[in-house]
Amino acid sequence: MSDATRSRLGPLDYAAVVAVLAALGYALASPRIESQGDAARMLFVHVPTIWLAYLAFAVTFIASIAYLVTNKLRWDHVAGASAEIGVVFTTVAIIGGMVWGKATWNVYWTWDARLTLTAIMLFVYVGYLALRRVIADPEVRARRSAVLGIIGLLQLIPVHFSVTWWRTLHQTNTFRPRDIQMDGPILAALLGSVAAFTVVYAALLRHRIRLEKLEHAARAAAAAPVGPVAGDAVTAPNVNRAGGQP
Amino acid sequence: MSDRFWQQAFAVARRDLDRERRSGEVFWVTIPFGAIALLLVPLAVGINQDVLTRIGTGMLFVVVMLFGVLTAVRRTSIETPEQRDAIALLGVDPVAEFTGKAAAGAVLLLGFELVMAAVALVLYGLDIGSWGWMLVVLPLTAVGLAELGTISGAIAASTDGGPALVPLLVTPLAIPLLLGATQTVSVERNGGNLAWLVLMTTVVLVLAIIGVATARPLQETR
Repeated sequence: MSDATRSRLGPLDYAAVVAVLAALGYALASPRIESQGDAARMLFVHVPTIWLAYLAFAVTFIASIAYLVTNKLRWDHVAGASAEIGVVFTTVAIIGGMVWGKATWNVYWTWDARLTLTAIMLFVYVGYLALRRVIADPEVRARRSAVLGIIGLLQLIPVHFSVTWWRTLHQTNTFRPRDIQMDGPILAALLGSVAAFTVVYAALLRHRIRLEKLEHAARAAAAAPVGPVAGDAVTAPNVNRAGGQP
Repeated sequence: MSDRFWQQAFAVARRDLDRERRSGEVFWVTIPFGAIALLLVPLAVGINQDVLTRIGTGMLFVVVMLFGVLTAVRRTSIETPEQRDAIALLGVDPVAEFTGKAAAGAVLLLGFELVMAAVALVLYGLDIGSWGWMLVVLPLTAVGLAELGTISGAIAASTDGGPALVPLLVTPLAIPLLLGATQTVSVERNGGNLAWLVLMTTVVLVLAIIGVATARPLQETR
Protein backbone atom coordinates (compact mmCIF):
# COMPACT_ATOMS: atom_id res chain seq x y z
CA MET A 1 0.00 0.00 0.00
CA SER A 2 1.45 3.37 -1.02
CA ASP A 3 1.68 6.40 1.24
CA ALA A 4 -1.15 8.01 -0.64
CA THR A 5 -3.57 5.21 0.21
CA ARG A 6 -2.60 4.70 3.84
CA SER A 7 -5.43 5.48 6.24
CA ARG A 8 -3.54 6.85 9.22
CA LEU A 9 -4.34 10.30 10.48
CA GLY A 10 -1.97 13.08 9.49
CA PRO A 11 -1.11 16.52 10.87
CA LEU A 12 -3.87 18.04 8.72
CA ASP A 13 -6.51 15.96 10.52
CA TYR A 14 -5.27 17.00 13.96
CA ALA A 15 -5.07 20.61 12.77
CA ALA A 16 -8.68 20.39 11.55
CA VAL A 17 -9.96 19.10 14.90
CA VAL A 18 -8.01 21.71 16.88
CA ALA A 19 -9.05 24.53 14.54
CA VAL A 20 -12.75 23.66 14.70
CA LEU A 21 -12.72 23.29 18.49
CA ALA A 22 -10.89 26.61 18.87
CA ALA A 23 -13.16 28.40 16.41
CA LEU A 24 -16.36 27.09 17.97
CA GLY A 25 -15.06 27.89 21.46
CA TYR A 26 -14.26 31.43 20.38
CA ALA A 27 -17.66 31.70 18.69
CA LEU A 28 -19.46 30.63 21.86
CA ALA A 29 -17.46 33.14 23.89
CA SER A 30 -18.06 35.99 21.43
CA PRO A 31 -20.52 38.76 22.37
CA ARG A 32 -24.22 38.02 22.06
CA ILE A 33 -26.03 39.55 19.09
CA GLU A 34 -28.86 41.37 20.88
CA SER A 35 -31.27 41.50 17.94
CA GLN A 36 -31.27 37.71 17.38
CA GLY A 37 -30.18 36.22 20.69
CA ASP A 38 -28.10 33.08 20.99
CA ALA A 39 -29.66 31.58 17.87
CA ALA A 40 -27.44 33.93 15.90
CA ARG A 41 -24.46 31.82 16.96
CA MET A 42 -25.61 29.45 14.21
CA LEU A 43 -23.91 32.02 12.02
CA PHE A 44 -20.55 30.55 12.99
CA VAL A 45 -21.51 27.17 11.52
CA HIS A 46 -23.97 28.14 8.82
CA VAL A 47 -21.75 30.64 6.97
CA PRO A 48 -18.64 28.41 6.97
CA THR A 49 -20.61 25.37 5.75
CA ILE A 50 -22.12 27.22 2.81
CA TRP A 51 -18.72 28.77 2.07
CA LEU A 52 -17.27 25.25 1.99
CA ALA A 53 -20.03 24.12 -0.35
CA TYR A 54 -19.10 26.94 -2.75
CA LEU A 55 -15.42 26.12 -2.39
CA ALA A 56 -16.00 22.40 -2.93
CA PHE A 57 -18.04 22.95 -6.08
CA ALA A 58 -15.51 25.47 -7.38
CA VAL A 59 -12.76 22.87 -6.84
CA THR A 60 -14.90 20.33 -8.71
CA PHE A 61 -15.19 22.83 -11.57
CA ILE A 62 -11.44 23.48 -11.71
CA ALA A 63 -10.54 19.79 -11.37
CA SER A 64 -13.03 18.93 -14.13
CA ILE A 65 -11.36 21.38 -16.52
CA ALA A 66 -7.96 20.04 -15.45
CA TYR A 67 -9.08 16.48 -16.24
CA LEU A 68 -10.37 17.39 -19.70
CA VAL A 69 -7.10 19.20 -20.45
CA THR A 70 -4.67 16.63 -19.03
CA ASN A 71 -6.65 13.34 -19.12
CA LYS A 72 -5.12 12.44 -15.75
CA LEU A 73 -7.44 10.44 -13.50
CA ARG A 74 -6.15 12.09 -10.35
CA TRP A 75 -8.11 15.23 -11.34
CA ASP A 76 -11.24 13.13 -11.64
CA HIS A 77 -10.61 11.82 -8.13
CA VAL A 78 -10.30 15.39 -6.86
CA ALA A 79 -13.48 16.48 -8.68
CA GLY A 80 -15.55 13.54 -7.40
CA ALA A 81 -14.23 13.79 -3.85
CA SER A 82 -14.83 17.54 -3.68
CA ALA A 83 -18.37 17.26 -5.05
CA GLU A 84 -19.22 14.66 -2.44
CA ILE A 85 -17.95 16.89 0.37
CA GLY A 86 -19.82 19.81 -1.20
CA VAL A 87 -23.08 17.87 -1.14
CA VAL A 88 -22.58 17.00 2.53
CA PHE A 89 -21.81 20.60 3.48
CA THR A 90 -24.70 21.97 1.41
CA THR A 91 -27.04 19.62 3.26
CA VAL A 92 -25.58 20.73 6.60
CA ALA A 93 -25.92 24.38 5.56
CA ILE A 94 -29.58 23.90 4.57
CA ILE A 95 -30.43 22.05 7.79
CA GLY A 96 -28.52 24.62 9.87
CA GLY A 97 -30.31 27.41 8.01
CA MET A 98 -33.67 25.78 8.73
CA VAL A 99 -32.91 25.57 12.45
CA TRP A 100 -31.82 29.21 12.43
CA GLY A 101 -34.92 30.11 10.40
CA LYS A 102 -37.18 28.49 12.98
CA ALA A 103 -35.56 30.59 15.72
CA THR A 104 -35.65 33.90 13.82
CA TRP A 105 -38.56 33.64 11.33
CA ASN A 106 -40.55 30.99 13.26
CA VAL A 107 -40.65 28.66 10.24
CA TYR A 108 -38.28 25.92 9.14
CA TRP A 109 -38.78 26.64 5.48
CA THR A 110 -39.83 29.72 3.61
CA TRP A 111 -39.90 30.32 -0.12
CA ASP A 112 -36.90 32.54 0.06
CA ALA A 113 -34.83 32.77 -3.14
CA ARG A 114 -31.53 31.84 -1.47
CA LEU A 115 -33.01 28.81 0.31
CA THR A 116 -34.81 27.50 -2.74
CA LEU A 117 -31.87 27.97 -5.10
CA THR A 118 -29.46 26.39 -2.62
CA ALA A 119 -31.73 23.33 -2.43
CA ILE A 120 -31.76 23.18 -6.23
CA MET A 121 -27.96 23.50 -6.31
CA LEU A 122 -27.84 20.48 -4.00
CA PHE A 123 -29.80 18.46 -6.54
CA VAL A 124 -27.45 19.47 -9.37
CA TYR A 125 -24.58 17.82 -7.50
CA VAL A 126 -26.71 14.89 -6.34
CA GLY A 127 -27.23 14.32 -10.08
CA TYR A 128 -23.46 14.61 -10.57
CA LEU A 129 -22.84 11.93 -7.93
CA ALA A 130 -25.61 9.75 -9.39
CA LEU A 131 -23.94 9.99 -12.79
CA ARG A 132 -20.64 8.87 -11.30
CA ARG A 133 -22.33 5.80 -9.84
CA VAL A 134 -23.98 4.58 -13.05
CA ILE A 135 -20.84 4.58 -15.22
CA ALA A 136 -18.42 1.74 -14.50
CA ASP A 137 -15.61 2.58 -16.92
CA PRO A 138 -13.28 5.05 -15.12
CA GLU A 139 -12.27 6.96 -18.27
CA VAL A 140 -15.85 7.37 -19.49
CA ARG A 141 -17.04 8.31 -16.04
CA ALA A 142 -14.26 10.85 -15.62
CA ARG A 143 -14.88 12.52 -18.94
CA ARG A 144 -18.66 12.72 -18.68
CA SER A 145 -18.72 13.83 -15.07
CA ALA A 146 -16.09 16.47 -15.91
CA VAL A 147 -18.51 18.02 -18.40
CA LEU A 148 -21.27 18.02 -15.79
CA GLY A 149 -18.87 19.42 -13.19
CA ILE A 150 -18.25 22.38 -15.49
CA ILE A 151 -21.94 23.02 -16.24
CA GLY A 152 -22.82 22.66 -12.56
CA LEU A 153 -21.02 25.86 -11.70
CA LEU A 154 -23.64 27.78 -13.69
CA GLN A 155 -25.96 27.11 -10.78
CA LEU A 156 -23.72 28.93 -8.31
CA ILE A 157 -24.34 32.26 -10.06
CA PRO A 158 -28.07 32.58 -9.27
CA VAL A 159 -27.49 31.10 -5.80
CA HIS A 160 -24.86 33.66 -4.90
CA PHE A 161 -26.67 36.68 -6.37
CA SER A 162 -30.15 35.61 -5.28
CA VAL A 163 -30.08 37.83 -2.19
CA THR A 164 -29.30 40.83 -4.39
CA TRP A 165 -31.71 40.01 -7.22
CA TRP A 166 -34.64 39.32 -4.90
CA ARG A 167 -34.65 41.21 -1.62
CA THR A 168 -36.45 38.48 0.33
CA LEU A 169 -36.12 37.23 3.91
CA HIS A 170 -32.56 35.99 3.71
CA GLN A 171 -29.99 38.59 4.65
CA THR A 172 -27.68 39.90 1.96
CA ASN A 173 -24.17 38.45 1.55
CA THR A 174 -22.36 38.33 4.89
CA PHE A 175 -18.96 39.27 3.50
CA ARG A 176 -19.06 42.56 1.65
CA PRO A 177 -15.53 43.99 1.75
CA ARG A 178 -16.65 47.62 1.31
CA ASP A 179 -19.58 47.45 3.69
CA ILE A 180 -18.85 45.30 6.76
CA GLN A 181 -21.64 45.79 9.30
CA MET A 182 -20.36 43.52 12.05
CA ASP A 183 -18.63 44.14 15.37
CA GLY A 184 -14.93 43.31 15.45
CA PRO A 185 -15.08 40.29 17.82
CA ILE A 186 -18.02 38.73 15.96
CA LEU A 187 -16.31 39.27 12.62
CA ALA A 188 -13.10 37.73 13.99
CA ALA A 189 -15.01 34.69 15.29
CA LEU A 190 -16.76 34.29 11.97
CA LEU A 191 -13.53 34.53 9.96
CA GLY A 192 -11.92 32.08 12.39
CA SER A 193 -14.78 29.61 11.83
CA VAL A 194 -14.48 29.96 8.07
CA ALA A 195 -10.72 29.30 8.27
CA ALA A 196 -11.21 26.32 10.61
CA PHE A 197 -13.87 24.71 8.42
CA THR A 198 -11.64 25.22 5.39
CA VAL A 199 -8.97 23.14 7.13
CA VAL A 200 -11.67 20.49 7.77
CA TYR A 201 -12.47 20.55 4.05
CA ALA A 202 -8.80 20.05 3.16
CA ALA A 203 -8.53 17.10 5.56
CA LEU A 204 -11.73 15.49 4.28
CA LEU A 205 -10.68 16.03 0.68
CA ARG A 206 -7.37 14.31 1.31
CA HIS A 207 -9.10 11.25 2.79
CA ARG A 208 -11.81 11.14 0.12
CA ILE A 209 -9.22 11.28 -2.66
CA ARG A 210 -7.40 8.41 -0.98
CA LEU A 211 -10.66 6.41 -0.95
CA GLU A 212 -11.29 7.25 -4.62
CA LYS A 213 -7.85 5.89 -5.45
CA LEU A 214 -8.53 2.72 -3.45
CA GLU A 215 -11.89 2.25 -5.16
CA HIS A 216 -10.22 2.74 -8.53
CA ALA A 217 -7.53 0.18 -7.67
CA ALA A 218 -10.16 -2.30 -6.42
CA ARG A 219 -12.20 -1.95 -9.61
CA ALA A 220 -9.10 -2.34 -11.75
CA ALA A 221 -8.14 -5.47 -9.82
CA ALA A 222 -11.65 -6.90 -10.20
CA ALA A 223 -11.63 -6.21 -13.94
CA ALA A 224 -8.17 -7.70 -14.51
CA PRO A 225 -8.07 -11.10 -16.26
CA VAL A 226 -7.79 -13.96 -13.79
CA GLY A 227 -5.21 -16.74 -14.05
CA PRO A 228 -5.96 -20.35 -15.05
CA VAL A 229 -8.77 -21.87 -13.02
CA ALA A 230 -9.40 -25.48 -12.00
CA GLY A 231 -10.96 -27.43 -14.85
CA ASP A 232 -9.28 -25.44 -17.63
CA ALA A 233 -7.35 -28.55 -18.69
CA VAL A 234 -10.52 -30.57 -19.19
CA THR A 235 -11.91 -30.29 -22.71
CA ALA A 236 -15.36 -31.21 -23.92
CA PRO A 237 -15.64 -34.58 -25.67
CA ASN A 238 -15.55 -34.28 -29.43
CA VAL A 239 -18.87 -35.66 -30.53
CA ASN A 240 -19.48 -35.68 -34.27
CA ARG A 241 -23.24 -35.47 -34.35
CA ALA A 242 -23.41 -34.82 -38.09
CA GLY A 243 -22.14 -38.27 -38.94
CA GLY A 244 -23.89 -40.00 -36.07
CA GLN A 245 -20.55 -41.45 -34.90
CA PRO A 246 -18.84 -40.61 -31.58
CA MET B 1 -16.92 26.94 -40.04
CA SER B 2 -16.66 25.17 -43.38
CA ASP B 3 -19.50 24.22 -45.72
CA ARG B 4 -18.89 20.61 -44.75
CA PHE B 5 -19.51 21.46 -41.08
CA TRP B 6 -22.87 23.06 -41.84
CA GLN B 7 -23.84 20.22 -44.19
CA GLN B 8 -23.19 17.71 -41.42
CA ALA B 9 -25.05 19.80 -38.83
CA PHE B 10 -27.98 20.19 -41.22
CA ALA B 11 -28.01 16.44 -41.96
CA VAL B 12 -28.08 15.58 -38.24
CA ALA B 13 -30.86 18.10 -37.58
CA ARG B 14 -32.86 16.79 -40.54
CA ARG B 15 -32.43 13.22 -39.32
CA ASP B 16 -33.80 14.13 -35.86
CA LEU B 17 -36.69 16.09 -37.34
CA ASP B 18 -37.48 13.26 -39.79
CA ARG B 19 -37.52 10.88 -36.85
CA GLU B 20 -40.06 13.12 -35.12
CA ARG B 21 -42.10 13.45 -38.34
CA ARG B 22 -42.32 9.66 -38.57
CA SER B 23 -42.98 8.92 -34.90
CA GLY B 24 -44.79 12.16 -33.96
CA GLU B 25 -43.81 11.72 -30.33
CA VAL B 26 -43.64 15.41 -29.49
CA PHE B 27 -46.87 16.13 -31.34
CA TRP B 28 -48.88 13.13 -30.20
CA VAL B 29 -47.44 12.45 -26.75
CA THR B 30 -45.54 15.37 -25.22
CA ILE B 31 -47.94 18.13 -26.29
CA PRO B 32 -51.10 16.36 -25.04
CA PHE B 33 -49.26 15.40 -21.85
CA GLY B 34 -48.27 19.05 -21.28
CA ALA B 35 -51.84 20.20 -21.99
CA ILE B 36 -53.13 17.73 -19.39
CA ALA B 37 -50.68 19.17 -16.86
CA LEU B 38 -51.97 22.70 -17.57
CA LEU B 39 -55.51 21.40 -17.09
CA LEU B 40 -54.66 19.66 -13.82
CA VAL B 41 -53.11 22.68 -12.08
CA PRO B 42 -56.38 24.64 -11.69
CA LEU B 43 -58.04 21.52 -10.30
CA ALA B 44 -55.29 21.29 -7.67
CA VAL B 45 -54.93 24.97 -6.69
CA GLY B 46 -58.55 26.03 -7.10
CA ILE B 47 -60.48 27.58 -9.97
CA ASN B 48 -59.98 31.23 -9.13
CA GLN B 49 -59.49 33.13 -12.36
CA ASP B 50 -57.44 35.92 -10.76
CA VAL B 51 -55.04 33.40 -9.24
CA LEU B 52 -54.83 31.43 -12.47
CA THR B 53 -54.10 34.57 -14.49
CA ARG B 54 -51.35 35.50 -12.05
CA ILE B 55 -49.67 32.10 -11.99
CA GLY B 56 -50.32 31.27 -15.65
CA THR B 57 -46.99 32.46 -17.05
CA GLY B 58 -45.03 30.64 -14.35
CA MET B 59 -47.01 27.45 -14.89
CA LEU B 60 -46.44 27.70 -18.63
CA PHE B 61 -42.67 27.78 -18.20
CA VAL B 62 -42.67 25.07 -15.53
CA VAL B 63 -44.59 22.78 -17.90
CA VAL B 64 -42.28 23.75 -20.77
CA MET B 65 -39.24 22.92 -18.67
CA LEU B 66 -40.47 19.64 -17.19
CA PHE B 67 -42.03 18.31 -20.37
CA GLY B 68 -39.29 19.67 -22.59
CA VAL B 69 -36.99 17.33 -20.67
CA LEU B 70 -39.08 14.43 -22.00
CA THR B 71 -37.93 15.32 -25.50
CA ALA B 72 -34.30 15.14 -24.41
CA VAL B 73 -34.89 11.86 -22.57
CA ARG B 74 -36.57 10.30 -25.55
CA ARG B 75 -33.78 11.33 -27.90
CA THR B 76 -31.24 9.79 -25.51
CA SER B 77 -33.00 6.46 -25.24
CA ILE B 78 -33.77 5.89 -28.94
CA GLU B 79 -30.20 6.32 -30.17
CA THR B 80 -28.44 2.98 -29.90
CA PRO B 81 -24.69 2.61 -29.18
CA GLU B 82 -24.31 1.11 -32.68
CA GLN B 83 -25.86 4.22 -34.25
CA ARG B 84 -23.56 6.45 -32.23
CA ASP B 85 -20.54 4.37 -33.24
CA ALA B 86 -21.58 4.55 -36.88
CA ILE B 87 -21.82 8.35 -36.73
CA ALA B 88 -18.37 8.56 -35.13
CA LEU B 89 -16.88 6.16 -37.70
CA LEU B 90 -18.42 8.13 -40.55
CA GLY B 91 -16.27 11.03 -39.45
CA VAL B 92 -19.12 13.34 -38.48
CA ASP B 93 -17.64 16.35 -36.69
CA PRO B 94 -18.77 16.12 -33.03
CA VAL B 95 -19.39 19.88 -32.94
CA ALA B 96 -21.55 19.62 -36.07
CA GLU B 97 -23.42 16.76 -34.44
CA PHE B 98 -23.99 18.83 -31.29
CA THR B 99 -25.12 21.80 -33.38
CA GLY B 100 -27.50 19.69 -35.45
CA LYS B 101 -29.01 17.91 -32.48
CA ALA B 102 -29.43 21.14 -30.50
CA ALA B 103 -30.98 22.87 -33.52
CA ALA B 104 -33.48 20.05 -34.06
CA GLY B 105 -34.27 19.99 -30.34
CA ALA B 106 -34.78 23.77 -30.35
CA VAL B 107 -37.22 23.55 -33.27
CA LEU B 108 -39.23 20.81 -31.54
CA LEU B 109 -39.22 22.64 -28.22
CA LEU B 110 -40.25 25.93 -29.83
CA GLY B 111 -43.22 24.17 -31.43
CA PHE B 112 -44.07 22.65 -28.07
CA GLU B 113 -43.79 26.05 -26.35
CA LEU B 114 -46.03 27.79 -28.89
CA VAL B 115 -48.79 25.19 -28.47
CA MET B 116 -48.45 25.31 -24.65
CA ALA B 117 -48.56 29.13 -24.70
CA ALA B 118 -51.80 29.01 -26.71
CA VAL B 119 -53.30 26.44 -24.31
CA ALA B 120 -52.21 28.47 -21.26
CA LEU B 121 -53.63 31.65 -22.80
CA VAL B 122 -57.01 29.99 -23.27
CA LEU B 123 -57.09 28.25 -19.88
CA TYR B 124 -55.47 30.85 -17.66
CA GLY B 125 -55.68 34.15 -19.54
CA LEU B 126 -51.96 34.94 -19.25
CA ASP B 127 -51.01 38.19 -17.57
CA ILE B 128 -48.09 39.08 -19.83
CA GLY B 129 -46.43 42.49 -19.54
CA SER B 130 -45.41 42.55 -23.16
CA TRP B 131 -45.91 39.94 -25.85
CA GLY B 132 -42.82 41.36 -27.55
CA TRP B 133 -40.68 40.05 -24.69
CA MET B 134 -42.48 36.72 -24.95
CA LEU B 135 -41.48 36.41 -28.61
CA VAL B 136 -37.82 36.80 -27.59
CA VAL B 137 -38.01 34.61 -24.49
CA LEU B 138 -39.67 31.57 -26.09
CA PRO B 139 -36.92 30.91 -28.69
CA LEU B 140 -34.21 31.60 -26.11
CA THR B 141 -35.77 29.08 -23.69
CA ALA B 142 -36.08 26.54 -26.49
CA VAL B 143 -32.43 26.94 -27.53
CA GLY B 144 -31.17 26.80 -23.93
CA LEU B 145 -33.20 23.70 -23.07
CA ALA B 146 -32.17 22.02 -26.33
CA GLU B 147 -28.49 22.69 -25.59
CA LEU B 148 -28.86 21.34 -22.06
CA GLY B 149 -30.79 18.31 -23.29
CA THR B 150 -28.20 17.56 -25.96
CA ILE B 151 -25.28 17.82 -23.55
CA SER B 152 -27.06 15.81 -20.85
CA GLY B 153 -28.14 13.22 -23.40
CA ALA B 154 -24.52 12.76 -24.46
CA ILE B 155 -23.40 12.57 -20.82
CA ALA B 156 -25.97 9.90 -19.93
CA ALA B 157 -25.81 7.95 -23.22
CA SER B 158 -25.29 4.19 -22.98
CA THR B 159 -25.47 4.17 -19.19
CA ASP B 160 -27.70 1.83 -17.24
CA GLY B 161 -29.81 4.59 -15.75
CA GLY B 162 -29.46 7.04 -18.65
CA PRO B 163 -33.13 7.89 -19.39
CA ALA B 164 -33.90 8.12 -15.67
CA LEU B 165 -30.85 10.29 -15.05
CA VAL B 166 -31.41 12.95 -17.72
CA PRO B 167 -34.36 14.69 -15.97
CA LEU B 168 -32.31 14.91 -12.77
CA LEU B 169 -29.43 16.45 -14.72
CA VAL B 170 -31.43 18.85 -16.89
CA THR B 171 -34.14 20.16 -14.57
CA PRO B 172 -32.00 21.80 -11.85
CA LEU B 173 -29.59 23.18 -14.45
CA ALA B 174 -32.46 24.79 -16.34
CA ILE B 175 -33.36 26.99 -13.36
CA PRO B 176 -31.54 30.10 -14.70
CA LEU B 177 -33.58 29.74 -17.90
CA LEU B 178 -36.83 29.37 -15.97
CA LEU B 179 -36.05 32.39 -13.80
CA GLY B 180 -34.97 34.48 -16.77
CA ALA B 181 -38.06 33.55 -18.78
CA THR B 182 -40.63 34.15 -16.04
CA GLN B 183 -39.03 37.34 -14.76
CA THR B 184 -38.58 38.83 -18.24
CA VAL B 185 -42.23 38.48 -19.17
CA SER B 186 -43.74 39.13 -15.74
CA VAL B 187 -45.80 42.25 -15.36
CA GLU B 188 -44.25 43.34 -12.07
CA ARG B 189 -40.81 43.65 -13.56
CA ASN B 190 -41.91 45.42 -16.69
CA GLY B 191 -39.19 47.94 -17.46
CA GLY B 192 -36.42 46.10 -15.63
CA ASN B 193 -36.65 42.92 -17.65
CA LEU B 194 -33.65 43.57 -19.89
CA ALA B 195 -31.31 42.36 -17.13
CA TRP B 196 -33.15 39.02 -17.01
CA LEU B 197 -32.94 38.73 -20.75
CA VAL B 198 -29.20 39.33 -20.50
CA LEU B 199 -29.02 36.52 -17.91
CA MET B 200 -30.88 34.15 -20.22
CA THR B 201 -28.76 35.09 -23.22
CA THR B 202 -25.58 34.62 -21.18
CA VAL B 203 -26.71 31.15 -20.04
CA VAL B 204 -27.59 30.16 -23.61
CA LEU B 205 -24.21 31.37 -24.87
CA VAL B 206 -22.28 29.68 -22.05
CA LEU B 207 -24.12 26.41 -22.72
CA ALA B 208 -23.29 26.73 -26.42
CA ILE B 209 -19.61 27.24 -25.58
CA ILE B 210 -19.64 24.26 -23.18
CA GLY B 211 -21.46 22.13 -25.77
CA VAL B 212 -18.94 22.98 -28.49
CA ALA B 213 -15.92 22.61 -26.19
CA THR B 214 -17.00 19.23 -24.81
CA ALA B 215 -18.50 17.69 -27.96
CA ARG B 216 -15.29 15.91 -28.93
CA PRO B 217 -14.41 14.49 -25.47
CA LEU B 218 -17.99 13.26 -25.09
CA GLN B 219 -18.00 11.62 -28.53
CA GLU B 220 -14.80 9.77 -27.62
CA THR B 221 -16.46 8.13 -24.61
CA ARG B 222 -19.35 6.53 -26.50
